[in-house]
Amino acid sequence: MTTRSSVGEELKMDLAIRTEHLTKIYSQRLIAVNDMNLEVPRGSVFGLLGPNGAGKTTTLRLLLGLQRPTAGQAQVFGKSCGPNAVGVRSQIGYLPTNPKLPGNLRPIEYLDLLGRLSRLPGEVRKPRISALLRSVGLLGATGQRIQTFSTGMCTRLGIAASLVADPPLLLWDEPTAGLDPSARRFTLELIRELGKTKTVVVATHILSDIDQICDHLGVMHEGRMIFTGSMQDMKQRLRRHDFTLELEGAAEDVRRLSHEVANLEGIDAMVDTGQALLVRIADGRSRSRSLADILKLVDASNLSLQAIHSGQNATENAYLQLLQEDEAHGFHR
Amino acid sequence: MDSTAKTSKIGTRMMPYMAILRHDMKTLWCSRLVRLWLGATALLTLLLVGSNWSNFQDGTLIASLLFPYLVFPWFFVVVVLGVTPVSGSRTETLADGILCRPVSRFEYLLATWSARVVLVLSVYLVVIIPAIVLVILAKRPVPEDTVTVYGIVTALCVVGLVLTFLVSLGFLTGTLLRKPLLAVVVLIFVWYPIGLILSFFSLEEFSPISLNRAISTQLRHSWRETDAEAKDNANVQDADVFTDQVTNFFSVLSGVQPKPKASKPDFFEGEKFDDFSLFRVTLGYGLPTIASVILASLCFYWRDM
Repeated sequence: MTTRSSVGEELKMDLAIRTEHLTKIYSQRLIAVNDMNLEVPRGSVFGLLGPNGAGKTTTLRLLLGLQRPTAGQAQVFGKSCGPNAVGVRSQIGYLPTNPKLPGNLRPIEYLDLLGRLSRLPGEVRKPRISALLRSVGLLGATGQRIQTFSTGMCTRLGIAASLVADPPLLLWDEPTAGLDPSARRFTLELIRELGKTKTVVVATHILSDIDQICDHLGVMHEGRMIFTGSMQDMKQRLRRHDFTLELEGAAEDVRRLSHEVANLEGIDAMVDTGQALLVRIADGRSRSRSLADILKLVDASNLSLQAIHSGQNATENAYLQLLQEDEAHGFHR
Repeated sequence: MDSTAKTSKIGTRMMPYMAILRHDMKTLWCSRLVRLWLGATALLTLLLVGSNWSNFQDGTLIASLLFPYLVFPWFFVVVVLGVTPVSGSRTETLADGILCRPVSRFEYLLATWSARVVLVLSVYLVVIIPAIVLVILAKRPVPEDTVTVYGIVTALCVVGLVLTFLVSLGFLTGTLLRKPLLAVVVLIFVWYPIGLILSFFSLEEFSPISLNRAISTQLRHSWRETDAEAKDNANVQDADVFTDQVTNFFSVLSGVQPKPKASKPDFFEGEKFDDFSLFRVTLGYGLPTIASVILASLCFYWRDM
């Protein structure tokens, strides 16, 4: 018979990361992480979302033991994190935002150094370095010193560096920052691929990245974790139904249409970026009927309809809604 | 377990330490500061040998060659080399690259400290040993001197120990203050008037100038100068004096009236410090070196990266 405590233990074992009341206060002045309780399931691609300064990077650094918590504790695969938690760090591959790399080294030298730091024997290290450099598309740059690398190349080398020890957990901080579209696509594809065999935590404020790759999500705001759950849970929080109508015609006509739409029951409308009309449909009102009513008004106006966008920014809206709710809670937060 | 397996286990365990040591030594060796220092120290040694070729006896000439390392100007380079590893912009690179790997902070600190010590001692010995060999073997128009191999080795070790202490002091200050420039300025203000500071604690014997003055005497000491019994007595006496010095140091530090000065040991000749006790100098510089590394480790352990 399974006892309740053993079930609890099993659940803990299924977690890659677990924090309890994790708090970080800098110099008794700045609260970077505020009483955070976080659980990241093993094998998930977890998006850590939040505006700049929300405490995402601090959280990752606390997990790595680069910083010490003011209160609370963090565990990775059941082991406590801390400055000398070598066992924890051997399970983690970390990619910092715009990684600072030793400019005097060449890529192979750098990855070899990191392989040695991870105590990898030569017969494992060498082939892995070659494979990684090939995977991140830096085979052609092995003769160059790192100081000559572009931002994108540095990020790709940083990605390779985080994978040298083949760790089961990856903590990637803003992996797409400063990347051109093709490099960005490559990185997102890689995260999706790695997510099949590893637990990946991606800290970012770019919502579309999260939308594309993550199956679980945590939203941070002012050091607090204001939401954790699956992407499905997150999208279900979006109580409003939004459409964006792209129109062609005079700005005055768009404004007039906006007033007419806003007069319909349970529908709110506002002009967004000149020629676009953002329409929000209240809960409980039929989307199709509302849209039909709106389209009738468009047809009656002097405007021509170019496109209708729906649900494209569901995550963004849910995210913004969460932030607004958190702000509105005030003292009760 | 066979010895190969044991060796490979130790090798695997030491791998991060050796990797950081090699990386740091390579980086330091490529730095302009070290290359300039090597060139400058070689040039200065050559100038000193050339200008005093026919003036000084072996012992005095060797002591004059060691002067720049003990007193001025190389202490400046040595403390700068000690200050840099865990301070300033390097900290970020460090956190991103090394400390997020399975490496303990102590392992990292010990490896970077070792790299600096090895580099400083290498530069010092690479220049000074050929110069000493030249001075000893060359036929110079000066009276014969009684410099011994034991004397040369011990004198080189004493200067090496002082340099190791300086690296460690720089290391500790850099770790404590975090800003390299500030750390260097503080060290200059501490090390320049070190004679004055040491005299405040009645420890003039350990000041670099006193050591340099006594080195020419040390160079003339031989290994079997005293019989075993006399040597044992000297060691006991040295240990007693060293204990008194440590007690006095802490008394002054805590504001308690120090004990009245005991009679001077035999090897002092009227405050001139023409000789020193190897035992006490080793302890006097060795213990603070170890203390500096331990304090730097503790300080680094508690620091957020």
